[in-house]
Amino acid sequence: MPKPADLLQGTLDLLILRTLAAGPLHGWGIAKRMLVVSGDVLSVGQGSLYPALHRLENQGWIRAEWRDSDLGRPAKFYALTADGRRQLERELKSWNRLAGAVQMVIDQA
Amino acid sequence: MRAFQIFRMRSRALLRRSEAEADLQRELDLHREQLRREAAAEGLPPAAAARAASLRFGSEAAAAEACRDARGVTWVNDFFRDIRLALRGMRRSPAFAVTAVLSLALGVGANAVVFGVFSALLLKPLPIAGADRVFFVNNGATQTSISFPAYREVRDRNAVFSSLFAYRLAPMALDQGGVSDREFGLLVTGNYWSALGLKPAAGRFFTPEEDQHPNASPYAVLSYQFWQSRFGGDPGVVGSTVRINGMAYTVTGIAPAGFHGTDTFYWSSIFLPMMMQPQIEGRSWLDNPNDFDAWMGGRLKPGVTVAAAEANLATIATQLARENKANEGLRFTLSPMGLAGALLRGPVRAFGTGVLLLALLVLLAACANLAALLSARALDRRQEMAVRLSLGAGRSRLVRQLLTEALVLAALGGAGGSLLAIGLLGALSHWRAPLDFPIHLDVNPDWRVFAFAWGITLVTAALCGAAPVRQAWKTSFAGGLKGGRALRLGRWTGRDLLLPLQLALCALLVSASLVAARGLTQALRAPLGMQPDGAAVIGYDLNLSGYSEAAAPALQQRLLDRVRGIPGVESAAFANSIPLSIDQSSTSVYREGTTDFRPRTSIRSVAYYEIGPGYLHVLGTRLLAGRGFTDHDDAAAPRVAVVNRRLAVLLTGSADAVGKRFLRGSHTEVEIVGVVEDGKYSTLTEAPRPAVFWPMAQEYNSTRVLIARSTRPPSDLALAMRDAAHDAAPRLAVYGVGSVRQQLGLVYLPMRAAVVALGAFGLLALMLSFTGIYGMAAYIVSRRVRDIAVRMALGARRAQVLRFLFARIGWLVACGAALGLAGGIAAAGILAGIVYGASPRDPELILGSVAAIALVALAAMAGPARRAIGTDPIRSLRQE
Repeated sequence: MPKPADLLQGTLDLLILRTLAAGPLHGWGIAKRMLVVSGDVLSVGQGSLYPALHRLENQGWIRAEWRDSDLGRPAKFYALTADGRRQLERELKSWNRLAGAVQMVIDQA
Repeated sequence: MRAFQIFRMRSRALLRRSEAEADLQRELDLHREQLRREAAAEGLPPAAAARAASLRFGSEAAAAEACRDARGVTWVNDFFRDIRLALRGMRRSPAFAVTAVLSLALGVGANAVVFGVFSALLLKPLPIAGADRVFFVNNGATQTSISFPAYREVRDRNAVFSSLFAYRLAPMALDQGGVSDREFGLLVTGNYWSALGLKPAAGRFFTPEEDQHPNASPYAVLSYQFWQSRFGGDPGVVGSTVRINGMAYTVTGIAPAGFHGTDTFYWSSIFLPMMMQPQIEGRSWLDNPNDFDAWMGGRLKPGVTVAAAEANLATIATQLARENKANEGLRFTLSPMGLAGALLRGPVRAFGTGVLLLALLVLLAACANLAALLSARALDRRQEMAVRLSLGAGRSRLVRQLLTEALVLAALGGAGGSLLAIGLLGALSHWRAPLDFPIHLDVNPDWRVFAFAWGITLVTAALCGAAPVRQAWKTSFAGGLKGGRALRLGRWTGRDLLLPLQLALCALLVSASLVAARGLTQALRAPLGMQPDGAAVIGYDLNLSGYSEAAAPALQQRLLDRVRGIPGVESAAFANSIPLSIDQSSTSVYREGTTDFRPRTSIRSVAYYEIGPGYLHVLGTRLLAGRGFTDHDDAAAPRVAVVNRRLAVLLTGSADAVGKRFLRGSHTEVEIVGVVEDGKYSTLTEAPRPAVFWPMAQEYNSTRVLIARSTRPPSDLALAMRDAAHDAAPRLAVYGVGSVRQQLGLVYLPMRAAVVALGAFGLLALMLSFTGIYGMAAYIVSRRVRDIAVRMALGARRAQVLRFLFARIGWLVACGAALGLAGGIAAAGILAGIVYGASPRDPELILGSVAAIALVALAAMAGPARRAIGTDPIRSLRQE
């Protein structure tokens, strides 16, 4: 049974992987995209975003590369690896199961 | 693929740390810049925008640290940082570092050397395929050999060996260009090579078919080393002939490199078929069931256990004893190959284990020394630890750092010890015993030695590191910070046990080495039954040099005349061998009136010598009664013998045996004409043994020694004798030239080894006690500078100050020394078996050990004591 922190961290990993599924992005872009897509609900601070990115890179699920960016100077772009894609699928599945379970409890308890 | 990426990333994080750091910085900067722009876009002025960005951004340091952690390399970085810290700390206190590293290096080095020798002799397998299945077959506990006819029977009847071979160490004369040299080789049965599973380096081995009939198979195999050193590795040697004992032998092949026969200590140069034995040794024992001259070994069939093999051999021994009285008492046991079976393996293992234990004691002492130093130092660093704790360092982090320090010390010590071992073992491998015998030890360190050295180094580090770590763990913020100077000298702690423990070990080693040294001096003075000093000897073999038995007397007379003509020579005589040299033989005799001739009724293991007139006088063997031999005791005269006191008592019940008779073999009656004092014949530690001397003229033996005594130094005399022999008989291959003392080298060798090893350990132990006591005393003085200053300022006399400082350490030293001495006296009992004359009850020895420890303690405390009483009270107080 994961502790709440793990749950949140796992969720952040899932969100990052899902965000990157659409294409390579730099850290700033990932945070912005999450904020916009979630309707300004999910604001990820750099204090958790970058460690998460480094951790994912360390796991081999994403890969980083310095490239010219829309920000006017080079930025570190993160992209999903093949492993990362598989991991995303796994995490999506387990998330859906969890979310479904939670929904069921809320609906029927 | 993913593994590769992870590896690349981690290694980059490690190896290109600065680059990774810069990357991280840039990435975070970019994020902050975006926040600032956003704030600016909202219409804030630049300064306010920057502040807002920083606020929103949060702690950059924390984020960066979290990222580093995410990369999973923190502990590695910490480790390297700890190593740097440890090295810096050692540079700050070099005395501590040098003491610690040196004592460890000595401890580890001593162990590695001892283990290296132990491993080379007992653990390293012979360079043959499946060495663990090849066994030496002992006959009983002390006898190694068996008669050749019995070997044949065992070979054909046993069901447990896939191949059973016999062999014998054999000196031989190799003629080359008119010069004859004695070489040491092996006579081996034809199945030797296949049993050992060897492949020739060149040519081929002789086969069982080429080892069928006496003197009919002049084939030779050379050892690789001999081929290289003597023939320069010339491939043309294979197929050519060499002359051995005057006969042409065809070299069929070269043994593989590194193979010198199956006994690790005896390096054979030439291997000949067993059937050539009569040609090599002059007299044949191949068909004599009473001559126990062959050694036996074999490869067990797959799946056959040692116990099963011994059971099978026991059955055969019973059968053989029933068939022939000569085979009574055969008892076969198996030993691993390599050290002449049980004969040497047992003693070597016992001795090696003993020395290894002593070496471990040295290491333990070094370890206690190091632990005391480290924990004294840890006490010094309580303040530092407390500061670091209060600044937020985790305890586990502190513990890790202390362990790393111990590890760095251990690594340096281990490296020093390994270097020491490489040097010493290398020197030992090149060392040639000053003997006329090919004793070589290949003890160059192998992986076993290094594994052992680093294994004990790690254990030492863990043991020594434990004490300071425990202290660090207990460090409290407040206590450490305010009590930096408070050293409670009044309370006894576990740390106080380290010094006495170490001293006890050292005292034990010192007394053990004194026991050994004393034993050696006594052994050198022990009654040998002869006076070796002043006498010199040369050896030769008539048969090897091609002289017939008929030609012997004339040659002998010529040699004797020449040697007597050397200026200064007082007397000279012949014998076949001298006591305590390598060439020893024994026989059995029977009491007068014996009718039932079997091993049980005989007097066994009687050392025998064939001696010429004047031998007793030249060698200084005291005649107790009767006479020695004269020129008249020749083949035509009645059979006579001189016996030693022990044999006289065994034969006749009293030492007064002149004129009495005994039986040699079943029908030769011999009269005793003289009785001489007992002596030592094979080893210095042997129990009194019977010995018999036959007149050389009645007992032909082609192996001869010529002994002479003169007023000149014996080594000079020996060279003069060699030259004289060469003049008298140019064909004669002379060997074993030297003083009689030198010929005794082999019997003194184990004892010398014991004394050298124990002496080295004793010295090490003294050095360790010195550093241990010095370290403790210096530490106490440095911690009590203020106390000393106050006392001296108040008018305390120097003696009082010293008593105040050193009373306690003196007690510790005394306790340790007493404890160690008791241990040493107990250990001396064990040593008595190896070192002749070692006795644990020896007042001089106890006094010597006490004096040595006391002197070392005084010397070690002198420096710190001088510093203490030389303290300038004013300055010390001001420093506080």
